[in-house]
Amino acid sequence: MPFSDENSGYGIFFWKQLKKPNVCAIILTEQTFALWKGWCIDVEKIHKEMTLYEKLEILSDAAKYDVACTSSGVERRGDGTGMGNCSRAGICHSFSADGRCISLLKILFTNECIYDCKYCVNRSSNDVRRASFTPDEVCTLTMEFYRRNYIEGLFLSSGILESPDRTMELLYATLYKLRHVCRFQGYIHVKAIPGADQRLIRLTGFLADRMSVNMELPTAESLRLLAPHKSRKNILAPMRFVQEKAKENRQEVALYRNMPRFVPAGQSTQMIIGATPETDYQILNVAEALYKKFELKRVFYSAFVPVNTDISLPVPAGQGASLLREHRLYQADWLLRFYHFEADELLDEVNPNFNVYLDPKCCWALRHLEMFPVEVNRADYRMLLRVPGIGCKSALRIVKARRLGNLKFEDLKKMGVVLKRALYFVTCGGRMLYPVRMDEDYITRNLLNTAERVPEGADGMTYRQLTLFDDLSWKETGSTTKGKARGKNEADIYLP
Amino acid sequence: MKQIYICHDTITGLYSALYDAWKENRNGEAGIELRGKTQQQLFCEYREVAECETKALAIERLIKRYMGYNTYWDVYHALLSDDPVKGEAVFHMMQEARNLQDSTKIMDHLSDANVAKVFELSRRVSNEAHVYEEFIRFRELENRVLFSEISPKSQVLTCIGDHFADRFPLENWIIYDRTHHVFLVHHAGKQWKLVWGEKLDEQAALKTSESQKEYERLWKGFFESVSIKERENPGLQRSHLPLRYRNQMTEFL
Ligand code: SF4
Repeated sequence: MPFSDENSGYGIFFWKQLKKPNVCAIILTEQTFALWKGWCIDVEKIHKEMTLYEKLEILSDAAKYDVACTSSGVERRGDGTGMGNCSRAGICHSFSADGRCISLLKILFTNECIYDCKYCVNRSSNDVRRASFTPDEVCTLTMEFYRRNYIEGLFLSSGILESPDRTMELLYATLYKLRHVCRFQGYIHVKAIPGADQRLIRLTGFLADRMSVNMELPTAESLRLLAPHKSRKNILAPMRFVQEKAKENRQEVALYRNMPRFVPAGQSTQMIIGATPETDYQILNVAEALYKKFELKRVFYSAFVPVNTDISLPVPAGQGASLLREHRLYQADWLLRFYHFEADELLDEVNPNFNVYLDPKCCWALRHLEMFPVEVNRADYRMLLRVPGIGCKSALRIVKARRLGNLKFEDLKKMGVVLKRALYFVTCGGRMLYPVRMDEDYITRNLLNTAERVPEGADGMTYRQLTLFDDLSWKETGSTTKGKARGKNEADIYLP
Repeated sequence: MKQIYICHDTITGLYSALYDAWKENRNGEAGIELRGKTQQQLFCEYREVAECETKALAIERLIKRYMGYNTYWDVYHALLSDDPVKGEAVFHMMQEARNLQDSTKIMDHLSDANVAKVFELSRRVSNEAHVYEEFIRFRELENRVLFSEISPKSQVLTCIGDHFADRFPLENWIIYDRTHHVFLVHHAGKQWKLVWGEKLDEQAALKTSESQKEYERLWKGFFESVSIKERENPGLQRSHLPLRYRNQMTEFL
């Protein structure tokens, strides 16, 4: 019997604890886990005896469409009593055949689901092999993989088993065991299940580093169409809840240093792109609102991969096209987060979609030629950021280096500026590199000739987790700051 | 005549050479070359440096004091690289630093060729070290010791020791650098240390524990199934994870 059953002995205790407003954890004993195991085996009988290998195969396969495989956002040293630590920039441990980074053991707890979202493999109306882990199995896999340096931590999501509450308590039990019994101190990303009791979400948040609730689709309308059991309200409520709790917790932590921390790496979400007719402008506005109003750390975009056929799903365009779109959205997302751009500057009602041929920053610059060229030796940092070919790091290097002397074009190159793009927009000591006509068509033509290096398959971003942004010309040597974040891929994400 | 200092390719060696060069020739020209990799040039005087801890510590203090900790960090990493001109680049950079009003800002002075060189080397080494924090794979030997072997270009072991010691404080583990024949050894609950001059017992290193095979299989299974077939892209995979690392990574064996 699951322990939150209000009629079982343990359930009464559990709920009584849960009702107290300030508990940060409810202790689960071996006995509870034993009860648990019994219950899980009951569930399993339905899908016969299955080996751990088979389960892992099914439940990682089912989780692979979730794009948020980052382990970034929190720096934590081990305390010497267990295993694991966290690095702020995140660490990738491998790259799968599709070129995406593998950082976390990304699995579903179960692919049983009572819901029927049209775009999802695990929906109840699909006939797929079903499996569920036990908390013990998830712990063993995580610990043994981590010890061998295969992974940076756990990404635990789940289908809805029986009810949102039941699912959430399963996730809690698993994380509890991992943190308190196995003393795991690495990274944990867990899904908050929409519709689950907020108190369960809160307890789980004290065990996780990052929590996410998926937006799934950009508008309420699309959600109604493709995910009939979910509603915008149901998704935003836990998001708001996590945001508020995190804020409260930050204040508490400031006062009492030993206060346990609530989702220290913040929350993220993801949207499926291309399953519904929204424009890039709509999507980017949603993302901006999520960053501003919900203080999300990351919004992920996932180009729609058709796994079901359903009349309400679109006939997919070629993978290439949707990947390029996803790539453009990541570039724009980067501009919002690190380059002080606003969604309204990049797109509008008249031009609601990104240009296929040019990245969003170039497009913006071409529409604002009156602001260029800028003088590298004088322009302020924010203006430098807006120059195509100059990234965050090179802008910073320019600002520092010009204090020690006037910069020339050769120097810019050494600082990682991509000159073949920047040359249309900057002057050094009052002179441009070549005589350039400040004319939109002329520059556009030239920029197109320099051919942006879109990552192969156009799917840069998701595939490398990064918190910083770096410049192209450091690629051969890779690039790093003292913080060890390897900026290399950022160039893939967004060419400055 | 230009004085060239010859030293071992170790931190102590290079620091000692820098110490001598700085002491005798800081206002003039001097070169630093690595033992076994010297190129005899005309009109130069070659001398082997007497290497010792005292000199090394002195130069370390000097750099930290006058050029700041951040510069020291870059110097240290640059000196671990496999580029034979590294010592000279650092020497010239130190000379250049004296021309600045605030010598701690020397690393910002990228328009100087030697600063740019040190900067580049330091990045190269710290990148490589970071790559190994990502791609190292341990295997469990019969006695539960975790063992890993790598073939780095630079001498990255001291850069990654703290990371793994903090991560696996209660485990016994060993990382073996096949290029430079050095071991990084960690005993449960203790500090890590470097061991030089030992030979690897290849046989023993292959005897893995019972469960090791099973976890390898599980990991490989996971590695396969987490990839999205419709999006397979070996080129992208290769650009993130170059082939040269793969022969020591479980999932590619
Ligand atoms: S809730 Fe919807 S998206 Fe989530 S597993 Fe169930 S069917 Fe799939």
